[in-house]
Amino acid sequence: MVWKKLGKIFDPTNHTLPNQCREYAKSPQVLVNDNFVRIYFCTVQNDENDKSLSHISFVDFDLDFSTIIQISNSPVISLGELGCFDEHGIFPINVVRDEGRILAYTTGWSRRTAVSVETSVGLAISENNGESFTKLGSGPVLTSSLHEPFLVCDSFVAMFNNIFHMWYIYGIEWIESSIEGSPQRVYKIAHATSVDGVIWAKEGKTIIPDKLNVHESQALPSVIYHNGLYHMYFCYREATDFRSNPKRAYKIGYAYSQDLSSWTREDDKSGLDISETGWDSEMQCYPHIFHCNNKVYLLYNGNEFGRYGFGLAVLEE
Amino acid sequence: MFNWRKLGKVFDPTEVDNRPWLKEFAQAPATLIFDDLLRVYFSCRPPRDSNGQYVSYTAYVDLNRKDLFEIISVSNTPILDLGERGTFDEFGTYPTSVVRENDDILAFYGGWTRCQSVPFNVAIGIAKSVDNGATFSKLGKGPVLSYSVDEPFILSGPKIRVFNNKYYLFYIAGRKWVLDDGKPEPVYKIRMATSRDGLDWNKHNKDLIASIVEDDEAQASPDVIYYQGKYHMFFCYRKSTDYRGRENGYRIGYASSADLINWVRDDGQAGIDIAEQGWDSEMISYPHVFELDGEIYMLYLGDQVGRYGFGLAILDDEKH
Repeated sequence: MVWKKLGKIFDPTNHTLPNQCREYAKSPQVLVNDNFVRIYFCTVQNDENDKSLSHISFVDFDLDFSTIIQISNSPVISLGELGCFDEHGIFPINVVRDEGRILAYTTGWSRRTAVSVETSVGLAISENNGESFTKLGSGPVLTSSLHEPFLVCDSFVAMFNNIFHMWYIYGIEWIESSIEGSPQRVYKIAHATSVDGVIWAKEGKTIIPDKLNVHESQALPSVIYHNGLYHMYFCYREATDFRSNPKRAYKIGYAYSQDLSSWTREDDKSGLDISETGWDSEMQCYPHIFHCNNKVYLLYNGNEFGRYGFGLAVLEE
Repeated sequence: MFNWRKLGKVFDPTEVDNRPWLKEFAQAPATLIFDDLLRVYFSCRPPRDSNGQYVSYTAYVDLNRKDLFEIISVSNTPILDLGERGTFDEFGTYPTSVVRENDDILAFYGGWTRCQSVPFNVAIGIAKSVDNGATFSKLGKGPVLSYSVDEPFILSGPKIRVFNNKYYLFYIAGRKWVLDDGKPEPVYKIRMATSRDGLDWNKHNKDLIASIVEDDEAQASPDVIYYQGKYHMFFCYRKSTDYRGRENGYRIGYASSADLINWVRDDGQAGIDIAEQGWDSEMISYPHVFELDGEIYMLYLGDQVGRYGFGLAILDDEKH
């Protein structure tokens, strides 16, 4: 895969966002329309306890990503009520067209005491072309199970051969870290299928082999069918000391499959690496691959998990 | 109407020695019948930790089958370990319900984790015993029944039963947290799921029992027995707030069903209430009804939700 980087296309600090959010535009994901592209992203609000709450916003671009048409001026989806799985944030959000409506698969965050958080995947529906979403219920559609004990999140849903496929991640361990001084997450990419998008059958295994070590944390799978193959972009990092140490920070990983069943990981073929200098020189994360206007694009975040926005690359074949 | 004759308190956890993890509470009794003894599983707690918080364990007491007031032994260790860091059952295993599966015994239990905005969350785990119920091994690190769109939190109080060659799990699911003077209190309702193998569950996704005290009535301990041609459920219920005293404390409710799906609530038939005085004079809760040697018994908790143990009642069927 050969990509041409188009640079950073959106910086949240240059705009006014809902929910008093100023920084972060994490995990950009698109809803492509006939004459514009809506890009959802996650901003961060600090609550009264100075803890972060993630909210969803969007920005609309023209079809060649050169002009911003508008930015959402009201909340796209509300956070959960007291005690619910998405009470303390929604990040990320993945949207899929399903006939006349739009399905949003959300990762909801709620705070714990022994570890920092727990997450599950929610489903919300928009009948107004993605301006706002209503949750199917106050609970999740995909959550922990016997062999996926916690941190079910980062779902990406696509319809292939009339079946809904979901790629997501689940936690396998919380490990101690003297650097962070608190338990850190280890999670892996997994797969589930559904006929209605609501009831999901987990495949029940991790599907992408580790490259770094058993504590490699894999996140945000994104899948596209292109030129006769399924391509998955994701990000991965060390489980600890990954926030400010570029050697251990998120990088882009790549795998391909012919049948959606077995995947071959070959990061060297991803065609994307960190830059020498600039906004994506220390970290690359949260890739989102999509078709638009007969081209294949990749949105992703750079340094500091997208604190100052996201960038775009276009596939050159 | 059922006519229960109270036989008195059977077991007091505060009288047990040499088990630092079993200091107080003997909650949610659940029975397993052996040739010469009746094993009663219950959940107990060590003293509060330095932050004032409890963990809970499940243990058992063996009673003489011929004299249920004779304690033969108490388990030397909890039957289940607490979960590892970050898992759903890191801070408690309560309540527990058991069923025989061929030569093994399956246990379903509520696993407790701690949260920031609310005090806790619960999901249902599964474990198996191959030593006649003395110890259990979890079948996985995660829950076997967890949250879903209409059951957002607090899946607890499992009661496992086998009817018509199918597993039935009666349990409670949280509906909302209400604030009582700023303190979150959970509202939960009785629910059901069915399974062929005990691992894959189909949720019924409906409340089984109508609420009568108030919309936010909390319902717990849905204990179902098949007896004289129909299904009987004894459960407990209370108001969502200010429920820790005699006025609004737990009471035992009753419902019946011909098909396990449609239930008619009629608490007037329950036939058991708080006592004028003594160990069960403020609340009665967590009923467990079982048949043993031709008699129908109920184990239940008294004041402070079983802090000082559980008692026994027997069905007087000449008045039934």
